[in-house]
Amino acid sequence: MTILNRRDLMIGAGALGAAAILPRTGHAAGTLTAAIYPGTWEEAYRGVVAPALKKAADIDVAFDSLFAVDQVAKVRAARGVPPFDCFVLDPGPAAAAQAAGLFEPIDASKLSNAPKVPTGLITSHGVTCNAQVVGIAYNPKKFAAAPKGWADLFKSPYVERLGLTGFQTTFGTVSIIEMAKVFGGSETNVEPVFAELKKAVAKAAAVAAPAAMPGLFQQGQIDIMYTNTNTVAILKGRGVDIEFVKPETGAITFQTTLHIVKGADNVANAYKYMDTAISAEVQTLLQRQPYNMIPINKDVTLVDTLDIKSLDELAKMATHDWSKINPLRAAWIERFNKEITK
Amino acid sequence: MAGAVATGGGGAGALMEKVDWRLAAPLGLTYLIFFAAPFAILLGVSLYSDSEQTVLGFGSWTKFYTDAFYLKVIYDTLKLGVFAVVATTFLAYPLALVFRASSPRIQRVLIFVILMPLLTSVVIRTFAWIVILAREGVINQTLMTLGITATPLNLLQTELGLVIALTQIEMPLMLLPLLTIMNQMDQNLVDASRALGSSKWRTFFRVILPLTLPGWIAGATLVFASATTAFISQSVIGGARLVYLPALIWQQSMVVYNWPFAAVASLTLLFTVLSGIMALGWLGRFAKTT
Repeated sequence: MTILNRRDLMIGAGALGAAAILPRTGHAAGTLTAAIYPGTWEEAYRGVVAPALKKAADIDVAFDSLFAVDQVAKVRAARGVPPFDCFVLDPGPAAAAQAAGLFEPIDASKLSNAPKVPTGLITSHGVTCNAQVVGIAYNPKKFAAAPKGWADLFKSPYVERLGLTGFQTTFGTVSIIEMAKVFGGSETNVEPVFAELKKAVAKAAAVAAPAAMPGLFQQGQIDIMYTNTNTVAILKGRGVDIEFVKPETGAITFQTTLHIVKGADNVANAYKYMDTAISAEVQTLLQRQPYNMIPINKDVTLVDTLDIKSLDELAKMATHDWSKINPLRAAWIERFNKEITK
Repeated sequence: MAGAVATGGGGAGALMEKVDWRLAAPLGLTYLIFFAAPFAILLGVSLYSDSEQTVLGFGSWTKFYTDAFYLKVIYDTLKLGVFAVVATTFLAYPLALVFRASSPRIQRVLIFVILMPLLTSVVIRTFAWIVILAREGVINQTLMTLGITATPLNLLQTELGLVIALTQIEMPLMLLPLLTIMNQMDQNLVDASRALGSSKWRTFFRVILPLTLPGWIAGATLVFASATTAFISQSVIGGARLVYLPALIWQQSMVVYNWPFAAVASLTLLFTVLSGIMALGWLGRFAKTT
């Protein structure tokens, strides 16, 4: 057994101390912690954005894998001590975070790629990094004809193979609002769709958490659902029989946005991170398989694997005002719980 | 915190006086900081009537306990725990008896098989059950191939499917305490019962069951607590048609941001699980006295 005496210990400690004060080679100029959605988003940002940021600004980014609602809940719970520097959010949680004062204001002049982004996609508190398109996804091998619109989901043969999900997510909420519109409702009146949902729930193949939907589709438990093009492209890439349908009343679009957390430690690095994420080089890579993210940089030529042919299509799609939706959402969730459960 | 100084005398009283409570201080402080303090905060948050936490009152408690839907959620959560305990009991006892009667080599194999699920993440095991229970899953394909059913059975998104999955997931928690207590059981008592003319069933109910009851109570406590709080399994296999307390807590705290209501649901879940554990503890004491 080695006996360690006090002299050896002092020499070792001294050597370690000296090593600590030597100039560190290979050390990044800066660091940053960014929240990111689990799954494809995390893979995409680790594989594409992080290396690009390292190359462009010598900044190391650490990712905190969290869903949008979890990010907002975590920052609210931290009460002024931000657990990360940068949010990635959908409109619903972003509106809630904005109302709670969780964002630093955005100075677009600090983003070199800002002129390449369509007007309105960089706001006073957020930078759009990706557009999402929501519609109907179905298995073409299980139905004789493709569904045409939201109302078809409530008819045979589609309703018996339908996967229902509620108001917990952005895509779920906006899809149900669009269904409500078909039955005479509006953005703030989903009453008509609840009557239809109550009839449909007994026949539907599944009522599940949003995150479980792709898995249920892959396993054949459901053959039709409402989802985004990103999920459809990923499942298609895995060999699943799935096609995307833009409902006849129009597909839905919403933006995913990056925000600097109020009181963030690394504001300057957060700007560089956001600037890298919206650059043409990064956006070009993010639109390809397996990420399939719809780009927002005007210099990017769209690949044909995306379900849209040009960014102009986004302007014709349905959009929603989350400042009106958020105050009503809690009641809708409660009602969905009570009326759509067994 | 000064330790008590022995004041002479002998026996248990003197031994108690010699205990230096400073030894327990680190654990006591840890509990105080990481359990008692958050619990107090949770209780405090539940005493707000609105989601913005501006109005003090019992509004959140009243809303929760006067709504039939939320009372049914409590009932369903308790029922799920009881079903999981019953199902694991029915499967664990025969396996424990087989284990006891096996040679050491077979026992080693069985222990590996029993422990193997614990070496896999509960998330993986839950998703594996989706593959097994789905319409095009292993069970349905087998039943249809054998001609037992013409159309696929709906097993996912049902309470039955959830209980089946939880039974497998929680089985090691029931088996391990049961195996431990069975190995300590005196075989002579079983042999004596059989020699005196008792049937196998009578021996089981009059000798084996009472002697192994402490092990079963430990296992049942673990299974009940684990099944009632199994958020992942309940959400993924049960789906949104079945609402249990853990999913309700997540929804109210993370999606709706109604923390007072989520706090009420959290405290309800805590007391629900504790009441189950206390009932099992009471059963244990009752068994000892009879």
